[in-house]
Amino acid sequence: MNLGCDTDLWLRRAQPLLGTLLEIGVRAPGGVGHAALNAAFDAVREVQACLSRFEAHSDVARFHALRRGERMAMRPAMQHVLGAAQDLRSATGGAFDISLGSAPDGWFCDRDRLHKLSDAVRLDLGGIGKGYAVDCAVQALVAHGCGAGWVNAGGDLRAFGGADVAVQLRDERSGGVRPFATLRDGAFATSHFDHRSRSQVAHGARARPLCVHVSVAAPLCLWADALTKVVAISGDTSHPLLARFKASAWLH
Amino acid sequence: MRLVLAASALAAAAMPSSAFAVDYLSAEQALRLMFPDADAFETRTVTLDAAQLQQLDAQGVRGRSARWPVSVARRGATTLGFVVVDEVIGKVELISYAVGIAFDGSVTQIEILSYRESHGFEIRLPAWRKQFVGKGNTSALRVGADIANISGATLSCTHVTDGVRRIVAVLAIARRGGALA
Repeated sequence: MNLGCDTDLWLRRAQPLLGTLLEIGVRAPGGVGHAALNAAFDAVREVQACLSRFEAHSDVARFHALRRGERMAMRPAMQHVLGAAQDLRSATGGAFDISLGSAPDGWFCDRDRLHKLSDAVRLDLGGIGKGYAVDCAVQALVAHGCGAGWVNAGGDLRAFGGADVAVQLRDERSGGVRPFATLRDGAFATSHFDHRSRSQVAHGARARPLCVHVSVAAPLCLWADALTKVVAISGDTSHPLLARFKASAWLH
Repeated sequence: MRLVLAASALAAAAMPSSAFAVDYLSAEQALRLMFPDADAFETRTVTLDAAQLQQLDAQGVRGRSARWPVSVARRGATTLGFVVVDEVIGKVELISYAVGIAFDGSVTQIEILSYRESHGFEIRLPAWRKQFVGKGNTSALRVGADIANISGATLSCTHVTDGVRRIVAVLAIARRGGALA
């Protein structure tokens, strides 16, 4: 696809959301671009309001306020993300752990109901929620008539509509960027784990602190985001779950 | 899904890294986006005196500067709100952004105007930063070179969040003091 021949307007905006810089670029017919971008930013704000542990009325905050044995109804975003997290927890034998070690089996989803099984459990959806929010933003853009574009939540990136998006990797030690790949109609997520980074995973009995820089490409950003944690914990860029989600992984 | 690795990707560690910069909106575009109903924007400069700077400190907000240019959005004789443009420096990034504030003092919108990803040392050099002053997205987005995205460990926007808090506090104090009436 030769983007240089397009006559539609390209727009690119960014707002501070999800604890990072959320950038959206779209090709849209004249006049609909900013309305579509506003709708996509709103969609992300809605996901953030539901999944953030820092928002007092989020589903996560409501869950934390429950006592053991109680249950609550989840909003669609929470239901979607926790359903995926439960699936990954099961498929990885508990290694994918959104409780970050507080109580890996302390929660359970049954369709739109979330059960609390331990008073100690604290959920942190930072390792999967950003990817889901990116997917929701893409949905909003498409619904508003954007032909092509991308959404990037500080490293959780998805391109749609045939746009070829150049992906550059940040040098985590000293800054600066390096070319890595060109992405079309798919998602690409990078996570960097060490004792100083914001991304944290619980990794059970491993004696060494986790220090790894990993990227995953997958059709949906939710899976690209979540699978970076699976690869980081396992150290395996051929992990069987990657094939199941049509994903590829790299250790840098 | 189609992903094509760059020729250099597998040898990335051996390659020198480069800077990255993108302009999203000019200050003028941000004003119109934030207050589409305004028919005029008036630029005023809020100057905080020593006592007002102390008030900021007392709120736990470092004043940083005594002089703050503020764009006042008006429709006829009615003041719709305010826009302040600021920049913050992180470990490897320089971010300029605009904050839209309604007449009641609440934040209505935050837009990033430009973003510079560099080697950490560059953004502390005045000469490097100076080259971006006054730059804005006045031309159409150039497809190709301009369409690039960074992937990496999540960049914190703490500096922007702190900056927004400072701007909200500065405007509140300025208005209590009779400026921006």
